[in-house]
Amino acid sequence: MAPLSPYTYIQCPCSDAPSQARPSETPTRDIAADQDDDDRTFDPRAPRSNYSLYPLEYLLYCEDCHQIRCPRCVAEEIVTYYCPSCLFEVPSSNLKSEGNRCTRSCFQCPVCIGPLQVTSLETPPDPNLLAADNTSSGPSGPYILACAYCHWSSIEIGIKFDKPNGIYSQLQKLRNGGQTRLTAKERKDRRKEAMSTGSFASTHPSNPGSDDVLDVESQFENLRTFYSHQLSESTSAAPGLSMSDLGISSPSSLARLMNYYNVGSLDPSKKGLGNSRGRARLGTFREALDTEEGLQLAQLDESASISAFKASTLSDLTTTSQRLSQAESHLSNLVSPALHGSSRLTSTLRPIPVLLRTKRSKRCPVCRHIISKPEPKVASTRFRIRLVAGSYIPAVSIRPLRVPGVTPPPPPDGLLRPLVPAQYLLTFTNPLFEPVKVTLATPSTTPGRFASKVTVLCPQFEIDANTDVWDEALKSGSSETSRRRDEGSKAGGVAEVGKIWERGRNWVSIVVEVVPALIKTEGGEELKEDEDVLEIPMFIRIEWEADATGAEVGAAPGTGKEVREKRELAYWSALGIGRIGSLGQLG
Amino acid sequence: MSRRAPKGEYIETDTGNKVARKAILVGTQNITLGGKTVIQPEVMIRGDLSRSSASSGGSGSGNNTAISIGRYCFFSRGCCLRPPGRFYKGHFTHLPLRMGDHVFVGQNSVVQAATIGSHVHIGEGVVIGEMATIKDYTRILDGTVVPPYMTIPSFSIVAGRPARVIGEVPEGGHEAFELRELYKTVGNNVQPAPA
Amino acid sequence: MFAGEQAELGKPSDTMSSSATTAKRTSTVPPASAGPKPPVSFSSSVTIAELAVLTGTYPVAIGSETVIHPRARLESLGGSITIGRRCIIHERTKIGYMGTEGKVVLDEDDRAVVLGDYVTVEVGAVVEASGTIIGEGTVVGVGSRVGRGAVIGKYCTIAPQSEVPAGVTIPDHTVVYGENKQRTDRRGVAASMMKAQAQQITNLRTKIPSNPAKFQ
Repeated sequence: MAPLSPYTYIQCPCSDAPSQARPSETPTRDIAADQDDDDRTFDPRAPRSNYSLYPLEYLLYCEDCHQIRCPRCVAEEIVTYYCPSCLFEVPSSNLKSEGNRCTRSCFQCPVCIGPLQVTSLETPPDPNLLAADNTSSGPSGPYILACAYCHWSSIEIGIKFDKPNGIYSQLQKLRNGGQTRLTAKERKDRRKEAMSTGSFASTHPSNPGSDDVLDVESQFENLRTFYSHQLSESTSAAPGLSMSDLGISSPSSLARLMNYYNVGSLDPSKKGLGNSRGRARLGTFREALDTEEGLQLAQLDESASISAFKASTLSDLTTTSQRLSQAESHLSNLVSPALHGSSRLTSTLRPIPVLLRTKRSKRCPVCRHIISKPEPKVASTRFRIRLVAGSYIPAVSIRPLRVPGVTPPPPPDGLLRPLVPAQYLLTFTNPLFEPVKVTLATPSTTPGRFASKVTVLCPQFEIDANTDVWDEALKSGSSETSRRRDEGSKAGGVAEVGKIWERGRNWVSIVVEVVPALIKTEGGEELKEDEDVLEIPMFIRIEWEADATGAEVGAAPGTGKEVREKRELAYWSALGIGRIGSLGQLG
Repeated sequence: MSRRAPKGEYIETDTGNKVARKAILVGTQNITLGGKTVIQPEVMIRGDLSRSSASSGGSGSGNNTAISIGRYCFFSRGCCLRPPGRFYKGHFTHLPLRMGDHVFVGQNSVVQAATIGSHVHIGEGVVIGEMATIKDYTRILDGTVVPPYMTIPSFSIVAGRPARVIGEVPEGGHEAFELRELYKTVGNNVQPAPA
Repeated sequence: MFAGEQAELGKPSDTMSSSATTAKRTSTVPPASAGPKPPVSFSSSVTIAELAVLTGTYPVAIGSETVIHPRARLESLGGSITIGRRCIIHERTKIGYMGTEGKVVLDEDDRAVVLGDYVTVEVGAVVEASGTIIGEGTVVGVGSRVGRGAVIGKYCTIAPQSEVPAGVTIPDHTVVYGENKQRTDRRGVAASMMKAQAQQITNLRTKIPSNPAKFQ
């Protein structure tokens, strides 16, 4: 079993049951319950704890609420959308019309998800063609998309491109195998023609299946147009609703659309018979009747695909992950025919347009102040606001205490020995420019089936301010510092109760003694995941004095700027010490 | 050279670079170090694979950098940096490998990227394919294979074969990329490690 | 071809001074060779860096226009090594590695490793000895390991950090990638790849000073 490197996780207060006001919820703490005399003792092993414990660097801090904020409770706002491959920014207006994928030439390999390169078939290893200018006398088309990692190329699905740029729009017009397909615009033109001849809305003969099979996007587009049309016809009081953008984007009309389903019959053949109730309320509203309206009959005759499977080997079939990534991108990346949304043969795979990425700012969920805001430019890595918890609360690092000549050499497997006391050094580093007072509390035994004993030798101490290194250097030699340095029990070589171990400029080390539990399972019972990890719940309270912030001037009226106010922050943390070995392992 | 051998494991330059005597730097005239960079033993840097060959000449001597490295970079034992090769207008050529500040390269990793930004952490046994571009504040986990020509945007956490972005570097994780402290722990007169 | 001969004439020295290729500051590059010097048969157009390492007792044969980078290591301790024409053997590779057991089983011709023409072995890759055969135009990626006795077909690609287990036969045009996955390369670009390899070799020969005399 792999040894475990020590860790410190901090609990965000957002998961505190009392603050969330959910009286009905009583978290069941199976066996751990009997360990907790105090109901408030935090159990890092409780199922809910998984969602509230974070490493320090993931936490933010709200300066107005004076509270820790975690990725789960902050409110995010998207600042910029960009393509992670070509690093071009995508305006949010494009996002509505084009979807959340890069519409330039950035694709991922459908086989291995590696990036695809646009390559000329003339001189295949020439990657120069990524550049947009194809006016030079360089190699000419046709071009393909090729994966430099697994060597998949769009030749395998029979697709070549005439131009090296704008691959996305070129690909939209190509089916696998190389045949062209109708673009949305062409379809629209067609429909307009049909409309002008008055054959669109209701006069279609019900001859579904006579048309060819549509790909997913065309079908969706047809259906959407059909229902938009239906809506605008049935509700005459719909000014400003255009054919193209009606419906799906607006929640109210979507709700109305859903309402139709609740009322009427779904069977289009019963149109005019059983639909009287619905018609009474809504006027004529029917379902799609043919391909042009988006009706797609299930292709029950699968003999073609069966014979295709017979002719193929295992390597011609797609894997689940390949099918998933295809399905995720299918609306912007047509798979034809739909095959119930999945492609089973590698010959049906399509290159995956790269998913866009975002830069996001974060708000405090309580006071709505922004606590993190990146520069909107894609190339910039700066932040306008970045209030991270690491600059407010002390960082805790854990390492085993080794005193030469006193501590026995560590076991080679890096596991803790059950029932043998072990000492660990916790080092608290103060990021604040004021000295802080730290108070620690732990339950005497860890919660869970296997209770290890925990003793914090020095639960209360003070850490000096995070002053400038130079200040410290200038101050060095002053009696005060040296006196404080002597205070630690390191000099003695033995950890003493009530004394810190060592003190530095802005840090203090203390000793924690643990007696790991004996991990013993009865019968055939299996250990739960990580149940043999010794994890200490620790309540950390820090107190310090700070300048009163401007926001709180109201609280202390009439006083000058030199007002100091007492601050306090308390939170639970989980300290992972290590894995406990079994007696057998240790002989 | 053997006369001065007992000096120490590292050669420390005026600009604070610490280069292990057992590092293998080929074509040093084409390698530029920004200063305060640590090159551990058995690191191999291929400065000889420069853009134009030395013999063909004509391009001027100053513009022949094969590998340029910023400040506070740290190259762990056994890693290898080499300029990427590619075909340009039908001819094979090497392009320079450019690296920003505070770049950590783990043991036995092979880097053939075109550009690596600043504050990049590359783990152990990583392979960065030719012409890849890695932006600032990126963490590449152990054993990752970054395919050729891949672009990795800032604040990415990357893993897998082939590489994919598996997470985002949190706001509070920026300081962890700083290598100033690590720089101090290596060299001939190592300061005692902080507690 | 000509460039290789020039370099050979230009630097006949067998000094271990690495100052010609490395900095004066990084002076004590460890001795590049250890162990016995194998009998070699080089084509006259071979480019072999001075810092390459050849060790062993069985013969090492290298075909025309092949490039051996510095710090590539050819070990013929357990059998002969044959490298075809226009191969590129990158730095830190181990061709003919004996494995941890330190012994090999050879076929009747005492062959440890046979590389076909146009084979590329990338940085840090290991090709273990024991009748291991790598076919024409195959690329063994960075940090990969080809197990002993493996037979790899023509125009295969072993992606970086992959492993070909010992004794395995891999058909032509196979790509080994990811977590031990395989697929068939259907690009059909073998001809242009060979052209590209030739160009790359022309370029490398201007940059890597060759010193075959040192190994003969």
